[in-house]
Amino acid sequence: MSKIMLEVNELTTKYITRFHEDVYAVDHVSLKIEEGKSLGIAGESGCGKSTLALSLMGYYFAPLHYQSGDIIIDGKNISGMKPDDVRKNILGSEIAYIPQAAMNALNPTRKIYKFIEDVVLAHDSKADKKDIFEMARERFSRLGLPVETLDKHAVELSGGMKQRTVIAISTILQPKVLIADEPSSALDVTSQKMVIKMLRDMMDSGFIKSMIFITHELPLLYNVTDDIMVMYAGQIVETNNSHDMVFNPLHPYSKGLMGSIIVPEEGVRDQKLTAIPGTPPNLKNPPKGCRFAERCKYVMPQCRFNEMPMINLGDGHQYRCGHSHEHLKEMYADEQ
Amino acid sequence: MRRFLSAHDRKLFLTLTGKDLVHMKGYRKYFTKKVVWFLITFVAALILNFILPRLMPADPVAAITGKLVGSTTDATASARIYERYQEEFGTNKPMWEQFFTYIGNLFKGDLGTSFSQYPRKVNDIIASAIWWTIGLQLPAIIVGWLLGNILGALAAYIRKGFDKVLMPLSLFLSSIPAFGMAVILLVLFAVNFKIAPVSGAYGFDMIPNFSWSFVWSVITHYQLPFWSIVLVSIGGQAIGMRSMSIYELNADYVKYARFLGIKDKKIVGYVFRNAMLPQVTGLALSIGTMIGGALVAEIIFSYPGLGSVMYSAVTAADYPLISATTLIITLMVLIVTFILDIVYALIDPRVKAAQFD
Repeated sequence: MSKIMLEVNELTTKYITRFHEDVYAVDHVSLKIEEGKSLGIAGESGCGKSTLALSLMGYYFAPLHYQSGDIIIDGKNISGMKPDDVRKNILGSEIAYIPQAAMNALNPTRKIYKFIEDVVLAHDSKADKKDIFEMARERFSRLGLPVETLDKHAVELSGGMKQRTVIAISTILQPKVLIADEPSSALDVTSQKMVIKMLRDMMDSGFIKSMIFITHELPLLYNVTDDIMVMYAGQIVETNNSHDMVFNPLHPYSKGLMGSIIVPEEGVRDQKLTAIPGTPPNLKNPPKGCRFAERCKYVMPQCRFNEMPMINLGDGHQYRCGHSHEHLKEMYADEQ
Repeated sequence: MRRFLSAHDRKLFLTLTGKDLVHMKGYRKYFTKKVVWFLITFVAALILNFILPRLMPADPVAAITGKLVGSTTDATASARIYERYQEEFGTNKPMWEQFFTYIGNLFKGDLGTSFSQYPRKVNDIIASAIWWTIGLQLPAIIVGWLLGNILGALAAYIRKGFDKVLMPLSLFLSSIPAFGMAVILLVLFAVNFKIAPVSGAYGFDMIPNFSWSFVWSVITHYQLPFWSIVLVSIGGQAIGMRSMSIYELNADYVKYARFLGIKDKKIVGYVFRNAMLPQVTGLALSIGTMIGGALVAEIIFSYPGLGSVMYSAVTAADYPLISATTLIITLMVLIVTFILDIVYALIDPRVKAAQFD
């Protein structure tokens, strides 16, 4: 078994609203990523994907607050560290982030190479500016980005170029974990492909050791990541390897999510599209039992009261449901 | 060749590949366009500066004649004197001819003779007044701008109590009209506390020289008009800077920079540089409209600057003097906006990208 790059145990973070209410957007989330592996996180809008991404950085600012749990990066637990230490020693160098809105992620009045200088100097104040430039130039050409980009301002770049530049900047210090929060959602298909290619290329060349890829576009995850985790209302409802997740989802929500997208793959293509009725619960007052109960086709009376435990089926496959996996499979088979 | 490029050759490379040449060409085009617009506006302003004062329903030549003739009742004598002055000022000629004489003299640097302060030359009057205005206004505008921006930036960054005190205070200050502030200071410090002189730029019993007593007198006379301008401009600048900074502090690039581990000190640097850009426009414009802005403070404190000159020129229908002061205002506004256009394109890459294409 290879080295574990990121391990998260029972991480809980909350938003404190203006009216001092706690909203648990990430609720007891645990996950593990091995070296060289990538994990996809899927779910509908507002399920806590982006909040999880922010929470994993171990650096919190209002309205997001840390509640409990551990974040362990390559054996080092960062959840107890002082915020300034996290910022200086962890962010950017151990764990890096690609924001959802990469379009505005770059300071409009700073040239790209100046910004890279700032990033490197923040972690190594003695670094030589000439070396930094040299390193950035090498990295950019290695990743297939035009070197002239370095001497430009963000406004002079197209959307796709900006996104790829942001990815190159985020990974300039070769972080162990890269968290990509919908890096390709705002791009056209060609640029999307380039972004994905670049991320894969970085994994292969070891610029990043592991990656978390967050998106609502499931077909993309299938092509990009090794494992997929489905989130619903702040909780993980199912984790499995990408292939099984797409072709044999177990949790009724995963099943609904996979059924609601068009996948041009053999075998899935003929299925008819379905929608999941209803809306997610309000996280200010989450339901006591299964959070998906209200919208679930297979709901049982006890689902609404019993807290749902995570059931581990081994081989990295786990799900959170009141039904046994055999029963679920039977019910799905009956439907077809 | 890209692969063999060192950091030092980068600029050269950009030039060689034509990247910067394209920029240079764009810049030259932009510059030429700006110059052409500058000239067109200047000519239009020149014509208006000449015509508008002369449309006033007044006969300044008759006023001078009246002053000279005094109580004489000899009609032919006063008519002859009137004609002589008309000849000297050229007011008996058609307007267009007067205009070309005016332009011709302007190119020789001659702004004409004042009606109301006859026989003083307009050049002399302006030359003795302009330094008082610049000396009062330029430091006041710059100090007010700097203090306002620093306070606004701090309010945005610290928030909490500091912001809660500064914000209402700034709103209060900026909503007081300039003459109101001048009168308040005058009444408080000159009339009630008697710690500052009431009017003038130096003691009225003094002759300008470089003695200590004169310099001290100038400094004490300087305080009230100076602070009346500074206080009013602080309020407006602080409000503007505060909201710009709050906007920038919440920008996506700030969050991203934090997540890359960049220190707060550096990020605050980014934020304030960007928040500053629109404020530069404000500074330039208040420098450009300095004389108009000086009018109120100078009149209230009887400060011998261009504002006072313009005021007395207007009340006396002194065409050459009015045209000269408005010409100076026009020129300053034009020059400042011209410089602003050029400089802004250099300091803000967003404007550069939009303008040079």
